[in-house]
Amino acid sequence: MPPTVELAPETDARVQAIEETDILVGIPSYNNADTIGHVVRAVSAGLAKYFHGSRSVVVNSDGGSSDGTPDVVARTSVDLGAMLIRDRQSPLHKIITPYHGIPGKGSAFRTIFEIARRLKAKACAVVDSDLRSITPEWIEMLIRPVLSEGYDYVAPYYLRHKYDGTITNSIMYPLTRALYGLRIRQPIGGDFGFSGRLAEHYLDQHVWESDVARFGIDIWMTTEAIASGARVCQSFLGAKIHNPKDPAADLATMLMQVLGAVFALMEAHHHAWLDLDGSNPVPLFGFPYEAGVEPVHVNVDRMLASFRQGLADLEPLWRQVLAGDVMEQVCSLQGVPDQDLRIPDELWAKIIYDAAVAYRARVMPREHLLKALTPLYLGRTATFVMDTQGLTSSEAESRVESLCESFEKQKPYLRERWKQFVTT
Amino acid sequence: MEEFIDQTVLGPLTELGRQVLTILPNVLAMVLLVSAGFLMAWGLGHGVERLMRVIKLDQLCNRLGVNAALVRGGVKSDPSRLAGRAVFWAVAVFATVAGLSALNLQPVNQFARSFLGYIPHLFTASLILVAGYLLSNFVWQAVLITAVNAGLPPARMIAALSRWGVQLAAVAMALEQLGIAKTIVVVGFGITLGGIVLAAAIAFGLGAKDLAKDFMERRLSGGPDSRGPDDLRHM
Repeated sequence: MPPTVELAPETDARVQAIEETDILVGIPSYNNADTIGHVVRAVSAGLAKYFHGSRSVVVNSDGGSSDGTPDVVARTSVDLGAMLIRDRQSPLHKIITPYHGIPGKGSAFRTIFEIARRLKAKACAVVDSDLRSITPEWIEMLIRPVLSEGYDYVAPYYLRHKYDGTITNSIMYPLTRALYGLRIRQPIGGDFGFSGRLAEHYLDQHVWESDVARFGIDIWMTTEAIASGARVCQSFLGAKIHNPKDPAADLATMLMQVLGAVFALMEAHHHAWLDLDGSNPVPLFGFPYEAGVEPVHVNVDRMLASFRQGLADLEPLWRQVLAGDVMEQVCSLQGVPDQDLRIPDELWAKIIYDAAVAYRARVMPREHLLKALTPLYLGRTATFVMDTQGLTSSEAESRVESLCESFEKQKPYLRERWKQFVTT
Repeated sequence: MEEFIDQTVLGPLTELGRQVLTILPNVLAMVLLVSAGFLMAWGLGHGVERLMRVIKLDQLCNRLGVNAALVRGGVKSDPSRLAGRAVFWAVAVFATVAGLSALNLQPVNQFARSFLGYIPHLFTASLILVAGYLLSNFVWQAVLITAVNAGLPPARMIAALSRWGVQLAAVAMALEQLGIAKTIVVVGFGITLGGIVLAAAIAFGLGAKDLAKDFMERRLSGGPDSRGPDDLRHM
């Protein structure tokens, strides 16, 4: 049993005063003073509008903001009258607390989970503090499946541009789906609903001193929910508009963090995915719709140039990661003109599977391995962009689906290579 | 005439024979010591290698990431074999030195004493070279990946320079540890490194002044990266 998470004395006193709650919504933050007010208003309105008879708590778990984020949370209130909400029966409590431990979203979540446990919350949700498009309906969509339908985990389903979230589209969704057999479209969405029982399960895992505490908490929560046998569903939330992620973080670093997290989880949960084949749809709540999306400018040439440079300069490293025939297929792209250059679905699936096995086998420092995949990822992204130019979002989505099918089809390849490594 | 032959031919030959007879036991002792030493080295080397395999040293090293470090450093042998070879060569070197001592020749004895006193320096220098080699490969890989991801065309050259720099530093430190031309090594290393930095600076200044200008402008103005090509969002 992991030790109980230490709370600040004021937080502890506040929790004891509140005693118990039905719903808890957590908002992790760090220097989000300009956006968190809107998030708190949307959460408060959502709780008042859709759960007016339930006891509710909003927890802001802050990482030591210097821009007055906690003050904004403290003084933010919502005019329920203006929203035609008149029958709020239970007061909404706010807890604003610093978190302890390794700086990062994971540690912020840990404090939220601990407060949920102490308050015996039945249903919880976490939402990002930089959201600009959150509405009160998000809270209903994340909480209601837990409270009324008995689900343990609610993954978000966003309306996104076809070129928004390319790491999710080309790696995280296909890989998670092929591994664990569940079609969760946004496994690293960032806004989730979950039961109090699952929050306790999260707390009991020995991951809080690892990279999960820093980054990778999103994919960890999704994977842990699936691996623990929790009932999983999705809720349509509409568009997700938020501040850009840390601009200082470059693509290679992002890729390293995301891929590192999912590969580490593959190691930890190999018993859960190794013998699974195929995938099943996951129930989707809400009212999905499509909307016109503004054109997005994508520089394919630059992505292809990066891929070609990787092919020329990183070949010795890629050879350590990729299987012989896979490497030969990648090398065969060398002389192909830009307009014809494609990394096909099956080849891409094998590349990712080879990288997972190489990560497990530690063929080189893991950070190097993951960062060395950046040009390959850009080559694949360029392929997707060239293949979907002029397509609608739903047509582009069908391309993502066919990529997922390739990942599922190539699963025996991963299984064989993984077992080969484990036995040798 | 007979006396002459006795003095000039047989005398030296007799003396030589006496000397050979005097030294022969020592030579035989040396041959025996060296042979036995090598035999023992071979046996101990194999024994240690087998013992390491029995106690699963390779698996332990694998878990600790040592095997991966060796592979990264271009070493193909596994840790058990390396341990065996290290024992073999250590015993073989000692046996050779002991064998040479058996000759009981003043210069050889002196050499043996000096060699034994030199062993700690030799050991430290070897460690420095091995560590430097492994580190240089690590640095080469890190620099190469970073440079490629940054889209720098001379990525391989930059990475190779980094590797040579680390290896050069390791060699200079090892030579310094061995006490070989200490001053020359330090001065030579300083001149070489300074030269490389200066050459790189001049080359960059002349060959990539536009690139440097763009880079500085972007940095100082805080404006968007002109290479920032698109609105595509990866996350």
